Parts: sequence; C-alpha cells; structure tokens
Amino acid sequence: MPTLLNLMIFTPLIGALLCLVAPSKQAAKSIALVVSVVTLAMSLVLAAQYDYHAGGVQFESAMMWIKGINVEYRTGMDGLSLPLIVLTTALSVLVVAASWNIEKMTKAFMALYLFLYTGMLGVFLSLDMVLFYVFFEVSLLPMYFLIGIWGGPRKEYAAIKFFLYTLAGSICLLVVMLGLYHITPNAADSGGKPIWNMMTLQSDSVHALFAKGGTYWVFAQWAFWLTLVAFLIKLPAVPFHTWLPDAHVEAPTPISMILAGVLLKMGGYAMMRITWPFFPDSARLFWVCVATLGVIAIIYGALCAMAQSDWKKLVAYSSVSHMGYVTLGLAVLTRTGFDGAYFQMIAHGITSAMMFFMVGVVYERAHHREIDRLGGIWLKWPGYGGWSLLCFFAGMGLPGLCGFIGEIMVLLGTFEAVGHGAGHTTIVYTLGVLAAFGVVLTAGYILWMFQRVYMGLPKPDYDHYEPVNTREYAIMTVLGVLALVFGIVPMIVFHATGVTFNHLFAMLAVQ
Amino acid sequence: MSVMADKLAGVWPEITLGLGACVCMALGLAKASSTRKLTSWVAGLFLLLSGVLAIAGPQPTSGLILPPQMVLYVKLAVVAVGVVLLLVAAQLPSSWRATHRAEEGIEPFDPANVMRGEFFAFFLFSLAGVMLTTTANDLVWLFLSLELVSLPTYVMVATSQDRIRAQESAVKYFFLGALAVAVFLYGFTLIYGATGFTDLSRVQSAAATTTSPLLTLGIVLAIVGISFKIAAVPMHFYTADVYQGAATPVTAFLAFVPKTAGFVAIIILLSMLPQWPTHGPIMWLLWIMAALTMTVGNVMGLLQTSVKRTLAYSSIAHSGYLLVGLLAGPALLTSGGGGSGAIGNGIAAVLFYLVAYALSTIGAFAVLGCVQVDGHEADSFDDISGLSTKHPGLAAVMLVCVLSLVGLPPLLGFIGKIYLFGSAMAHRGENPAFVWLVVVAVLNSAVSAVYYLRIIGACYFGKPSGRTEPQHCPSRRIAALVCGIAVVVMGVAGNRLVTLARESSQLAQPSQQTPAKVVSDELPTDIHGG
Amino acid sequence: MNPVFDISLHHFLIVSFALAGAGVATILTKRNAIGILIGVELLLNAAGVNFIAFNKFLWHNTTSTSTGLDGMVFTIFIIVVAAAEAAVALAIFLNFYNNFSTVDVEKADELKG
Repeated sequence: MPTLLNLMIFTPLIGALLCLVAPSKQAAKSIALVVSVVTLAMSLVLAAQYDYHAGGVQFESAMMWIKGINVEYRTGMDGLSLPLIVLTTALSVLVVAASWNIEKMTKAFMALYLFLYTGMLGVFLSLDMVLFYVFFEVSLLPMYFLIGIWGGPRKEYAAIKFFLYTLAGSICLLVVMLGLYHITPNAADSGGKPIWNMMTLQSDSVHALFAKGGTYWVFAQWAFWLTLVAFLIKLPAVPFHTWLPDAHVEAPTPISMILAGVLLKMGGYAMMRITWPFFPDSARLFWVCVATLGVIAIIYGALCAMAQSDWKKLVAYSSVSHMGYVTLGLAVLTRTGFDGAYFQMIAHGITSAMMFFMVGVVYERAHHREIDRLGGIWLKWPGYGGWSLLCFFAGMGLPGLCGFIGEIMVLLGTFEAVGHGAGHTTIVYTLGVLAAFGVVLTAGYILWMFQRVYMGLPKPDYDHYEPVNTREYAIMTVLGVLALVFGIVPMIVFHATGVTFNHLFAMLAVQ
Repeated sequence: MSVMADKLAGVWPEITLGLGACVCMALGLAKASSTRKLTSWVAGLFLLLSGVLAIAGPQPTSGLILPPQMVLYVKLAVVAVGVVLLLVAAQLPSSWRATHRAEEGIEPFDPANVMRGEFFAFFLFSLAGVMLTTTANDLVWLFLSLELVSLPTYVMVATSQDRIRAQESAVKYFFLGALAVAVFLYGFTLIYGATGFTDLSRVQSAAATTTSPLLTLGIVLAIVGISFKIAAVPMHFYTADVYQGAATPVTAFLAFVPKTAGFVAIIILLSMLPQWPTHGPIMWLLWIMAALTMTVGNVMGLLQTSVKRTLAYSSIAHSGYLLVGLLAGPALLTSGGGGSGAIGNGIAAVLFYLVAYALSTIGAFAVLGCVQVDGHEADSFDDISGLSTKHPGLAAVMLVCVLSLVGLPPLLGFIGKIYLFGSAMAHRGENPAFVWLVVVAVLNSAVSAVYYLRIIGACYFGKPSGRTEPQHCPSRRIAALVCGIAVVVMGVAGNRLVTLARESSQLAQPSQQTPAKVVSDELPTDIHGG
Repeated sequence: MNPVFDISLHHFLIVSFALAGAGVATILTKRNAIGILIGVELLLNAAGVNFIAFNKFLWHNTTSTSTGLDGMVFTIFIIVVAAAEAAVALAIFLNFYNNFSTVDVEKADELKG
C-alpha cells in the first residue's frame, strides 16, 4: 500500500511528461483523463484499505533524502489527509473534463495541470516538513503558468500577484523551518539531530520545548504567527486575500475550479497539520486574535461579494467568506469547531468548484460576466438552472446540502468556547453573533445574485448561444450529487477523520 | 631548494594555466585560420589538465592559510565552472568584426586586429588568479593574485564586443577597480604596520597576541576594497554598467570569477583574526555591507528595463546573501544553540552557494547569449519576449535558472539559500543581530522574486518579436543546457556538493577555538552521490 | 637635536594619508581619464610610502621570523603592478579615444539604468 500511495503522487508527473510528448492535442487530453481516473481509483483503493478504527498515519514509507540535515522522503496518509485526497482526485477528473475545450497549447496545459496535481497530492501526503515545503512550492509554479498563459486580459498581473503572495507566505514558513532546524535537536528524543517528521514534531518532547514558559516559548509564539500568516495567505484570509479575486477572475474555468476546490484547502490543511499541533500553547494564547481574523474574513468577504458586479469575482469573494469559517472553527479550539472547519473545507471544495464551473458555462457563451447584463438564464436552460439552484444554495448553507453542516458546526463550536473560562463570555458571544450574521449576509448576496442572473426573462442575445452540452451536464451532475450526498450523510467525512482528530484534539483542548 | 619545490607543489594547476595562456597567445598568431580556431580547444585542454593536476598532482604540504580541502574545492570549482564559461565564450571571438573577416578570408590576417589568442589567454590568466588566491600565504601573494584576477578582466571587457558601450564599461570598470585595489592595498599596509609581517601565518599568530585598532582598520579597509571584486556595497556602482556593456559571455565570467576570488580573499583575511567576528566593528561592517548589498541589489533590480542590468543587480543581491553566510563563519561556536552542524557552517554555505549561484546565473546569461536581436545580443526585456514559442529549450533553461536564483525548491539555489540563512540563524544566541540579518535576507528574497518573475513573464507570456534570431553558437547552447540540467539535478540529488563544501571548510584558527567549540559534525555519507 | 629634521613615523603616515586623500579626490573629481589615472598612481604610492615607513620605523630588525625587509619588498611589487595597471589603462584609453575622440570619461553615457 505505501507503494501505491507513492505511485499515486507521481503518476500525474509521469502523465505530465507523456503529455509533453503526446502526438496530438486529443492524445494529451486523453492521457490527462486516464491519469486522473487512475489516480482517483488509487485514492479510492487507499480509502477502502484505510483502517478507520485504528486511525493515525497509515501506508507510511520513508527514505533518507538529505542525510546531512536529516531530511527524509516520508509520506503517509491519516484521517486529516484522506478526505482531502479523495476530494482532490475526484475534482481532478472533473477539472480535466472541464478543460476539454481548451484549444490553446493543449499539451502544455495538460502537462502543467498534471504537474500541479502531483504538487497537490504531495502537499497532502508528505509527512516530512521539508518535503511538505518542497511540494508546497512546487504547486506554485504550474499555477503561475496556468493563470499567466491561459488567463484573461490581466493574466500576467494576476499570475505574478498570486506567485508573490504565496512566495511571501512560504518564506515565512522557511524562517520557521530554519528555527526548527536549530531548536529541535534539543528535544529529548531527537538524538541530537533536527526533526522534520511532522508526527514527531507534534510529540510531547518537542511540545515541551515550545510550551508556555519553556526554553523556546518566544520562538513558539513567533513561529505560530509566521506559519499562520503563511497559510492564511494561501487560505486566503483578510487581509492577505487580495490575490484571490484577481487570480480567479483571470484564470480559466477549470483552473478556478482547482484553485478554489483544492489549492485553498492546502492553507487550511497546513494549519491543522502544522500551526496548531506544533504550537498548541501559542494557539491557546492567541485564539481570540485568530478567531477575530476569521470573523473579519467572513463578514468582509460577504460584504465584498455583495458589492461585485462581476459574477466570478462575487464567487471568488464568497470563497474568502467561506474560508473565514475554517479559520474561526480552528481558532476557537473546540472539537465541534474543529470538525466543522474540516468539513467546511470539504464542502467548500465541492460547492466552490461547482460555482466556478457554473459561471464558466455562461462565460464561455456570453464572453462576459457582468451580472447586470445577464438574467433569465433559468428559462433559457432549465436543467442548468436547476443544478445552479442546488449549487448556490449549497454554497449558501441551506440545510440538507453540504454547505450547511460546516457552517452550523463552526457556529456551534464558537459558542462552545464559552467553556474556555470566565472572562471570555462576552468575546465568544460577540464573535458567534457576528459569524452568524455572516450567514445572513451570505444568503443575501447569493439570493440577490441568483435573482439577477437566473430570474426574469432571457435576454435576446442568448439566441445564438450553444446549448449546454452533455459533458457540462455530466460535470454539474457529479458535483451536484456530491453536494447533496455530503449534506445528507456528513458522517462519511467524520468517520474518516474521527480517530485521527481524537488524538489531534487531545493536545489542542483547552485544559 | 626543497623549500622552493614545496612552494611550487601547490601551484602546478596555476602554472599549467599560465602555460596554457602562453600557448593560446602563440596559437592566436598562427597563419592558418583553422589553427587559430583551435585556441578555444587548447584553452579547454589546459583547463582540464589543471583540474587533473589539482586532484592528482603534488599537494602542498605546508604554508597554506586555508585548509587543503578547501583549496582543492575552490580549484575544482574554478575548473568546472571555467569549462562551462569557456563553452559560453568559445564562439565569442568570431563575433568580432576584424577577427571574423580575417577568418572568412575577407581581409588578410592582421595580428594587431585579431584577438582570439589574447582573449583565451586572459581567460586562463584570470582563472589562474582565482586559484592562486586560494593558496595565498602572504599579503604580497594575495595582492598579486587578486590583481591577476582583475587585470585580464579589464581587457576582456574592453575588447568583448565591437560596440562603444564595451569601451565605456571598460573605463568605468577599470577606474573603480583601480580605486578598489588601492583601498585594499592601503589596508594591507596597516595590517603590516600593526603586525610587522606580510607572511599571513605570522600575521595570524601576531594578531592572536595583540589587539590593535590598526589591524582592525587594516582588515576593514581591505574588505571594503575587496567588495569591488564581489560587487558588494560600497564598491558596487560599476556592476550594472559593466555587466550590460560587456558581451554576455564576459558578463557571465565577471559574475563568477572575481566574486569567487573576492570571497576567498575575505575568508583568508578574516581568518587572520583570533576569532571569527561575532561582535565588534568587523562584524558590523559585514552586517551592514550584507544588508545594504542585498537591499540595494534587489530594489535597483526592480527598476531595470534591461535583462542584463537586472541580472547584474541580482548578482549584487546574491553577494549580499553570500555575505550573510560569510558573517556566520566557519562553524557553530556555541554548543547551546543545538543544530547538528550541517547547517551552521557559514563558510561551507558560501562555498556551496558560489557554485550554485554561478551555475544559475551563467545559465541565464548563456540563454541571453544564444539570442540576438538586430545583430546585437539580446539585452532588454522586449528582446526575450515570447522566447518560449520560438525556442522552448532556451526558455526552459532560463526558467529553471531564474527560479534557482529566486530560491525555489527543489532547485540548487534553494538548498544554497537554506544553508546560507540557516548558518546565520545558528548564531542567534551570540548576537541577536544575526536573526535580523536573516529577516532582511528573506524579505529580500521575496522582493527579488518580482524582477525574476518579470524575466520569466517576458519569456513565457510576452508576444514574440519578429526581430529575434538565434545566434549560431552550438557550444553556448550546450553550456546553457548543462547549467539547466545541473541546477535541477544537483538541486534534487545534489547532496554530494554540499558534503564537499562542508568537508572543505573546516577552517583552522590558531587560538580561541578549542575542539569542543567546533561542532563535531560527522560528515554525511550521502545516499545519492555515494 | 633639530626638531625640523627629527622626522618620525607619524610624519610619513601623514604624508601618505595626504597622498591617498589627494588620490581619492582626483579620482572622484577629474573628468579626464589621464587625470584619473594619476589619482590612481597617487593612491598606490601612498600605500608604498606606508609600507616603507612602517618597515623603516617599526619592523626593520632582522629576527628569526623576519628578514626585516618585508615592507620594502612589497613596495617593489606595488611599483611593478602599478606599471602593469598603467599599461592596461592606457590601452583601454587609447581604445576609448579611438571611439569617442576624447578622453573625457563623462562623454561616455550610453549605459544607463
């Protein structure tokens, strides 16, 4: 099984090389499709083989990589990565399907996409800090090109902005890693060598170094914020979010899907994997600040979304708002909040990808995204309208659809934080009420947008639009069904994460 | 006599290069054009021969200031990078009008106008100068070897192309160079005045017993003077003009050769001190130089419209990063700081990064040299616009080389930066200023990404201009390819170079450094290179 | 003892410092290439004066580790290198003159940021 896991990481890379030498555009597309289907199958096999009762890291494999500084190639899967891996592989098939009509430099597009795919899988599956960093950076470059070459009019600006923001974040991470390199050899069981294994970095002996009042408590506080900033940029959270609307607006539809669906999740995943478990005492100290950042993102993102006239920008800002729940859920340090935040990532992976796809379907025909110039689309394409209703309502958090579970759990988790002790009551209630108000704002901008785009009578210039084709219907059907399934049986996710989170949360809980 | 033989033992590679230079000059005067064209091959042959001699030849037994492994490492690096540089430069003389016309038989051969032999001779002399710097054990020797590095480069810049800008840049280069020489020479006089010796090992022992402000001032002046060689503040002014004015192969040469000599010279000078400076004026001098150099380099890099100028400022910025590692010094001096010592040895980091930087930047210059616009070398961003559509291979090399300069994992530059900044972090216990220097350095790396991305953006997103045409320089393409592959492969599996750099940098210092203080790092036997 | 002729190390150092100062000032202010070259020579000679003065007043004793001539020898090398440098410089200027018909270095301003 570890072999299969490693094979899964590098299958897309092999596919990327094949795409480069593919004889024709069609062949490149087929290769990409086959590769995504194969990786999906691999991830499903791994998911089936995973022992959910044991939890923890499974399918682990390790090999010394740079011996001088004790860096290993170490991969493995646990409850934290498993659902995200399945989400990534599933979305990947849909993304390849969605990019079927890319005609400009198709081979390069597919090769870059598959390269990105390896980066994404690597981020979620690496258990060595340096390896994680390498994959985190590797995923940057293809994205830069995918936006920069296939993007809209201001593609270069958007691509560079995306690259620089993320690079600034990873440089923060690099500083922390340099610190860890010099500090971790002092841990009791390190054997005098630096520790990069992300599981060992969460062990008691390392925690002892970073504990409140411990030898490296000051470093732990700095490191908490530096890693947090690195991942908040990726997430993105206000005030580090400004790259996201630009990137989304310029990116082609399939790239928007994967950007919102998976790349943003790297930020949330890394917070759960690194920031919180490595520096739990810092997280306990700063939770109010971080939770405030989350609430600001929720409200600010929603307000910005409301103000947009560009449909895709509206959806992009909705991502900022939705990822605010992830920050909030993690920050409050309650089990419900933690579960909610994780579920929110999965749910948002499905709904945001679907929303961007829905926008893309219209954009491809209308060649503009001005909400005011659209209207009456439901009457034009009733089927598409129906799926859109489901999609946007899932994004809005309607009960029975996947968006609901994450939001409600985060809100409940926030109110549970009252239990953290006296003096926090007012803060917790303020945060909770504001976050709940965010739900209202979300309903507001989505319903308003829906009314302007879908309701009313079709515009005359729709006449020459091609009908929505089978491929597009297939994609939206899959995504719609997923949104429905996760809304009704959210236990699929919690079943996978349960045991792992028990352990993870044990060290985060406020005593 | 045996003293003489022993002194000669260390310098056989240099003697070989000197001989090679003479042979090149003679060959350059040959009557037959085909014989003259052999010059570059002969230069390469002597270069390789000197590399073989450096490994297998007689080794110096005494009188070295630097550890013998380090001397060997630098010599081999000079040979290896020198071969790449030679590949880049091999066809350069054919692009000069007079040389070209004589070759094609359009004009009769006139030794006064044809400079092929001289070019390769100077090329080898300058490389010999770097090698001599590493074996220097006397201030006179250090002075002469640094001059031997620089003097040929003045001529190489002046004659590198038929354009007026080459003349102009040579004049600028010469004047600042001469000023710099005088400044470090003045520093040398003060070192002599303070200790009474020009023999470096005696200076070392004299400095261990007396602390004299004159000695400190001497070393400060010497470092300021040598900052010209490494293109660091305050002697960096020439860099952009000279890099732009010289022909691209010569620019690539300037980016590696004087820089290496300069860093080796500074390492030698600092090892005169009883202890690597972690406090006091010399430490602060280096600290300020490092911080200013990278900031000036990166900020100015943002404002350029010429790729060559941008890369020139990038060269300045990288000197700043290198100074960070230099400041961190040979090994972790405190035991409380932890660390296994692999990262923490700043000298190893500098040695490693010199090669990493050289390969990345030479790759980028080689790509520029492979493209010409309107009969001139590519220079501005417009000139390389849309390179990826016409020459995907060259664009790919440019991509990996520039990304390596950014420091993106898993490329060579990333590993180098980790080593440099990590070694400075190791000293945070002794002086918190080191942490701030690392902060400045990482901020600078982030800023630098902006202009590096402009280069990539021009190559990949720009519209191809119809005026670009490939230059017929097969060896230059090979050099670009070698750099591109090396940057990737050595980054992913380049454990070997790290090990070499580390093994070679166990600086011996006369006092203050008890064995307990040198981190006992067991040398890694890596899994890739064996 | 006549104080006028009682010349010590300090006097030499002051002279050399003045020479160096004059050299730097010349390099920074002159526009004529030959003038700048003279400045360079002044600087190099300042270093030479220093070496000889240090040798004469501080380190002239022959000991087991020193011949007592180190500074003198260094000065000879400086003179030689200065000559080499001047040769290279004049060659570059000649080339420059052929192109610009002047040795005024400020006439050359093609290279700008």
